[in-house]
Amino acid sequence: MAKTQTKENNYAVEYSEPVGIIAAQSVGEPGTQMILRSFHFAGIESAIATSGLPRIVELVDAKKKPTTPLSTIYLEGPASKDIELAEKVAKKINEVRMGTLIRRVVENFSKGTIRILLSKQELESEGLTPGQVADKLGKLLKVDTSVEKHAITVKMHTKNLKEIRQTMVKITKSVINGIEGAGKAVVQTNPKTGEIYIVSAGSNIEGIITVDGVDKSRVYTNDVFAVYRQFGVEAARNALARELKATLDEQKISVDIRHLLLIADAMTSTGTIKGVGRHGLSGEKSSVFARAAYEETVKHLINAASFGETDHMRGVTENILVGKQIPIGTGSVKLAIKKEDMSKIKPK
Amino acid sequence: MVNKSDHEIVPVHEILKLKEVNELLESKNLRLENLPKIFESDPQCKKLGAKPGHVIKIHRNDNGNQYLYYRVVVEG
Repeated sequence: MAKTQTKENNYAVEYSEPVGIIAAQSVGEPGTQMILRSFHFAGIESAIATSGLPRIVELVDAKKKPTTPLSTIYLEGPASKDIELAEKVAKKINEVRMGTLIRRVVENFSKGTIRILLSKQELESEGLTPGQVADKLGKLLKVDTSVEKHAITVKMHTKNLKEIRQTMVKITKSVINGIEGAGKAVVQTNPKTGEIYIVSAGSNIEGIITVDGVDKSRVYTNDVFAVYRQFGVEAARNALARELKATLDEQKISVDIRHLLLIADAMTSTGTIKGVGRHGLSGEKSSVFARAAYEETVKHLINAASFGETDHMRGVTENILVGKQIPIGTGSVKLAIKKEDMSKIKPK
Repeated sequence: MVNKSDHEIVPVHEILKLKEVNELLESKNLRLENLPKIFESDPQCKKLGAKPGHVIKIHRNDNGNQYLYYRVVVEG
């Protein structure tokens, strides 16, 4: 028992240990071995998620939207076993825009109508009928529509050329089926457990959890800001660490999770997700010298001078800058004396 | 007040009683503003009905390592 106790104490972080610097080094060094370039494949649309250094940079800089948003959607009840039921749920999620269904468009400016010829093939693969499409369009844009075979005629209230054109653009962008921002949803099976789940190329988890059959407690996305909006800072902090770990693991780089958790903690300590760089943690340090030593030296010094800022010289950077001992480890121990005790010392 | 976690990624949040807040600050030699922050508009805060000045106790679990974390509710 005593032996384990000593072992445990040996692993504990000691007072004044520079955990942040150690975390930075532990992530920074393996980072040099990662791929610097994200993969690009002509023709394949967002099938491969960003990985390696570009992804790390994206996370650490707290980019609002990831380059390749992805969501993993687990299913509730029988749908997680039955591939047909899962396909049905995926259909409800899969985002279909009008633009992909259109084969040909004829705009009649003298009558004020737009005649849209739909692609039979696309309709079939999405499981939609022209009637459904027309109904949805009518509801979305509040226009009168009529259907004949595979053509939809939209009747406009005006004959204004500009307005007809604008409506046409709105039509192509309107979401006919599925959830806006959910992207393309594909059903996949976990080869180990046999569980069926859906992967979608979007990060609108706010919308996805409203779909019936989706396991609300396990929906996950690689968009940390979407997690933040839906579940709050604590969840975002976990997602951030999880994403960092996953990216590093993918490159077969092993970094202790505690370093990544520390980074995630630091980034979320203000209640939202802050980047590490100039506009985030480094740019908001209280010390003028620390900020000036990082980036935009002149700007910070001039501002500090004109507003009369004070630097308490408590950090590492500013003390290196002026050549003082840095407050780390033994350097953080100071000799102090109480005011009352001062009077006891009598000068000779 | 405790709210059950609604997602595997969300740890359990709980509003700390005033007495406990004082004990915590005293034992750790902290002031309220030294604590990490959480916005009043945060989904978990809304659920608990936490107001600025409250301290939220978070039951964290990092890969089996269970510990407590505290955040002070701020406006925003």
